Amino acid sequence: MIVRAPHLQDDVLYDCYYASRRGDAVDPPSAEHLADCQACATRYAELGTFLNTLSEDADAEVAALFPADRLRAQQQDIARRLELIGRAARVISFPGRAAGHGTSSTQVVRTPVRVARWIAVAAAAGLFVGVAAGTLFNGSARLDATRDARRPGAVASRRVNTPAPARLASSNVEEAVVDMDEMFMSDLETVLDRPHTSELVAFDALTPHVRDARDFPR
Amino acid sequence: MSTDVRNSVTGAATPADAPTVATSPAELSPRRPAATPLSDDSRLAVDIRGLVERGELDEARRQFEGLVVAHQRRALRIAFQYLRDAAEADEAVQDAFVKVFSHIGSYREAWPFEVWFTRILINGCLDRRKARVRRDRWIVQSDDTTNASASLSDRRSFAAAANAPSGQLDPEARLLARERRARMTAAIERLEGRQRTVFMLCHYGDCTPREVGAMIGLNESTVRVHLFRAARKLRALLGGQP
Repeated sequence: MIVRAPHLQDDVLYDCYYASRRGDAVDPPSAEHLADCQACATRYAELGTFLNTLSEDADAEVAALFPADRLRAQQQDIARRLELIGRAARVISFPGRAAGHGTSSTQVVRTPVRVARWIAVAAAAGLFVGVAAGTLFNGSARLDATRDARRPGAVASRRVNTPAPARLASSNVEEAVVDMDEMFMSDLETVLDRPHTSELVAFDALTPHVRDARDFPR
Repeated sequence: MSTDVRNSVTGAATPADAPTVATSPAELSPRRPAATPLSDDSRLAVDIRGLVERGELDEARRQFEGLVVAHQRRALRIAFQYLRDAAEADEAVQDAFVKVFSHIGSYREAWPFEVWFTRILINGCLDRRKARVRRDRWIVQSDDTTNASASLSDRRSFAAAANAPSGQLDPEARLLARERRARMTAAIERLEGRQRTVFMLCHYGDCTPREVGAMIGLNESTVRVHLFRAARKLRALLGGQP
């Protein structure tokens, strides 16, 4: 009695397919069975058709998406990227520093920028010096005036320095002039003691002062 | 998806949604029979490594072009099947070649160059897929798409297939081919991560089960089982007809 070999399992069929696809030798017993058994040969053919169609579709899709010119472009891209390997990274200097280290053309382009920067610095310095000098001048002038006004001998010295025609006048006239001078100096002192800001004058008027107590007759 | 096939070159973090099958060249080397002769690509890779070590970078680059030409189309096929986006596949392949050249010093001839390169390529593709998933979380899908339930990658693949010129085919045949590709893509997306990787590498990457086993750190017979199950599931999903 001849015992027929059982049908091939699916996994064996897959092994046979992938072996033949790679060009390797198919397992001899399986190949022999496929040659003898019509049912297994049919199953194998169906499996091969299915898997071949999968591959062909995938190949066609990739071939359509990546034609020869795109492959060449990709090779060039890879070559370009490989060129950069092993080279030191290019450091792009900060623009402010680049003016000092740049080429001649760069310096030519950036010269107006430097000049403008110097002009700006000079203007700022001039403004600062002007403000400082102005503050100093005004402050010292006001200080001198205040000091002169408060000095007790100021009136006397002025009187001493009075021009010659005043000394020739009568004593009444001389006293009147002195009173006027004192009034003037008193007014001047009052003005200088008052606030210079107009908005504060009203408050100053409401506020009692030392000078009021001093001037008030006891 | 995803079987991570990281090695010391790409060495990034393991994805949370994937089983880790990290294998290092040191782990792989004992498995390969010492008597196996080097392939032409592997010999070329060894030569390039020597040139790089001697500092002859220009010559190394020139010879590396041969490797690029030899593996470019296969790499694009694998990357496109993973990513379903032509531009991303292009970038992934470029990145893989650049990474290979810059790490050529770590190549060991214990395994074929093809295996080493494919591992790097797949790791790059997996990283891109993860990045895309993260990115897609922030994209609001519009309601006017023809297939509202389809994922963004499905729609991308459909658009890519639609834009692809189909040679001499008439419009009806092109339409049918497009639909068939879309169904295939959807079916492959439904495979379990490891099955999918194995199927991709064996079917589209032309790798042997042994090589795939080396890439993802599995036994050869386990790879065969995964391959068989993946193909059977695909047949079932596609109704026996692609």
